[in-house]
Amino acid sequence: MTDLAVSERAASEPRAARGGRRLSRRSRERIAAGLFLAPDVLGLALFVGLPMVVCIVLGFFQVDGFGGYTFIGLDNYRRMFADPLFLGSLKTTLLYLVVLIPGLFVVSLALALLIRQRFPLVGLFRGAFFAPNVISLVVIGLIWKFMLTDQTGFMVRLLGFFHIPSPSWLGSPHIALWVVVAVTIWFAMGYYMLIFLAGLQDIPREYYEVATIDGAGVWQQFRHITWPLLKPTSFFILLTSTVSMFTGGIDLLYVMTSGGPANSTSLIIYYIYEQAFVYGEYGYASAIGAFVVAILLVWSIGLFTLTRGGRFNDARD
Amino acid sequence: MGISRRSLFGAGAGALAAPALLSGCGSASASGRKELVFWQFYAPTPVGGSPDVVKQSQWFTKMVDDWNATHETRIRLEYVTVLGNPKLATAFAAGEGPDIFLLSPGDFARYYNGGVLAELTPYMEPEAVKDFFAPNMATRTADGKVYGLPMEIEPLAMFYSEPALTKAHLAESDLPRTWDEFLDFGDKLKSRKAPPIMLPSQQGYYQNFTWYPFLWQTGADAVRGNTSGFDSAGAKAALKLWQDCIQSGITPRTSPVPDNDAVAALGNGYGSVSLNGIWTVSAFKYRKPKFRYGVFPLPIPAGGTPKTALGGWAFVANARGRDPETAAKFCVWALGSMAKDSIQRVVDWCTVAKSDIAPRASALAAGRRAGGYDHPVMKQFADDIFPTGRGEPRYPPVVYKAISDAIQQCEFSGADPAAQAKLAGDTIDAYLTSYRGVKIL
Repeated sequence: MTDLAVSERAASEPRAARGGRRLSRRSRERIAAGLFLAPDVLGLALFVGLPMVVCIVLGFFQVDGFGGYTFIGLDNYRRMFADPLFLGSLKTTLLYLVVLIPGLFVVSLALALLIRQRFPLVGLFRGAFFAPNVISLVVIGLIWKFMLTDQTGFMVRLLGFFHIPSPSWLGSPHIALWVVVAVTIWFAMGYYMLIFLAGLQDIPREYYEVATIDGAGVWQQFRHITWPLLKPTSFFILLTSTVSMFTGGIDLLYVMTSGGPANSTSLIIYYIYEQAFVYGEYGYASAIGAFVVAILLVWSIGLFTLTRGGRFNDARD
Repeated sequence: MGISRRSLFGAGAGALAAPALLSGCGSASASGRKELVFWQFYAPTPVGGSPDVVKQSQWFTKMVDDWNATHETRIRLEYVTVLGNPKLATAFAAGEGPDIFLLSPGDFARYYNGGVLAELTPYMEPEAVKDFFAPNMATRTADGKVYGLPMEIEPLAMFYSEPALTKAHLAESDLPRTWDEFLDFGDKLKSRKAPPIMLPSQQGYYQNFTWYPFLWQTGADAVRGNTSGFDSAGAKAALKLWQDCIQSGITPRTSPVPDNDAVAALGNGYGSVSLNGIWTVSAFKYRKPKFRYGVFPLPIPAGGTPKTALGGWAFVANARGRDPETAAKFCVWALGSMAKDSIQRVVDWCTVAKSDIAPRASALAAGRRAGGYDHPVMKQFADDIFPTGRGEPRYPPVVYKAISDAIQQCEFSGADPAAQAKLAGDTIDAYLTSYRGVKIL
């Protein structure tokens, strides 16, 4: 018998003497796990699960915002698919995501590859790339708005200095959305860069050393070592960035463009906000919210299925 | 004595819960008196407020202090950013709306239809009801009953910078009277490298508010009885005017200053002309007193009628608040009684704290006697511009949005004004067939 077993037994004896029943180690572990998980589960149930259920339920009601609820079945959903502004907003959002997600992915990965290298002041660069992520989106929106505004903005003056005519960055429907995409990449890239960096640092250096000895170039190393081993990280980034970009960033839109000009930056999340809090259409906004959740669920399930839960070819191993 | 872990957690939980519990007990003040909350965007003054903001805050504070000194139920001022924002909507959705709040005509239909506006007429003398200017009061009444008391009337006009005009070799005689002259004037400013004309460009209630007069000048309207009048030659012309301003570059697509602030725009040389409200006069007075500026009425189309929009906020009482009767009485006591103090309060607000047209005939007369309208610009507003005014409409959100989209599409996407007027007209018509609520004005 080990010393530990003896001490455990000794500790349990007084309780046994009092007639108490001793829990098995497995039960105690389960209780401990439950207790550790409880705060998270409770928080998720209360602040994510419950609002989601309420949102889905409200989608079947006309809600006037003053305590009046009228059950209208699927009317909000019928209205949604006949609403040109909603459809326009959905189209804008898809366009936004199609450009933003790959853009964010490439920039973040490139930065992670860059700052993984050892060169002078690398720490400074890491900090600089991550810095926008710690600033409030409202502040970011204001700063960029001032920089891009007509007549007085920094960009206008900078281009003017070189005698280059400046477009209306936030006043042209053909440009404003891409400006929002660029600013979003700028502030989000630091966060995803860090995740990529963690993934890169998990790849053993020996692989690269062997590849170098075998004469593999930088591109070959990236293609045959980095990229395959980075797939789980890429999966995680693809999934989380899509969800967060689909449902987030409203503060940036609110400050920079308010969905304009001419609804050109009215992403679905902004449209939901507008319907709920500007027009008081809580039921309709909830129905759109539920629809967005459904889209993201389909996207997530599809991504999980295609990538075997982010493990890719593990099943074949 | 040691503190057990359990008692420490207990104390921590208590400390965390205390503010939440206390915030839920807002119906009684520290003195034990019943307390009603008044949401507005003036007082207490945010730190670093400019002089005009401080004056306005002082007016609110004095008003509430006067009430609290003479009434059992206290009023507490709570500063919120411009109402009509999510905070007010969310508060009502949660059944926690403030007892008293400020409301603009643009939001009246929603709140009235939601049944949260208390009627004020029972607490008003008939003479006092008549004392309010009818065109401005119309959007605060329903079936002849008063639901909101305006604290101000804010007509729109074109403010111009004298230095900018001088620099562009333009004189007062060059100021435009018609739409065509307005476009020519803009072209002259542009060709002489003078700062541009500032029209509100950001989508929202405010942009609509500033565009409506141009629609009305043509004789057109957004809603006529139970149908839309928007698909009309007048609407197309008004949409085309704003489109021309943007497309020709005589007005910028985005404002270089926040919130269409005319003092910042004209005072810093970013604009030569700014479409703005009478409140700009006090803003200049307190923030740039030496700056030389003037106003001219909104230009009109050939054969059109001079029109401006009369904005301004009103005190309203929450019919589902803690004490709607006292809240309603407070609104009437503050702005709508025939008592000398009540009239003087309106005068002070409109001529000292701000620069507005007093919403009551008695207060406007008293303000004139006190010299509140002696300033040439205020005199011009009171004598020439205000009489051409129509109260800001109380269009429900769907009507507002249809018009707003038409304006934006024409301005920024170069859309055909005729097609946009038709689209908006159809949207409004479809909405009106199922609309139930207060008459749309």
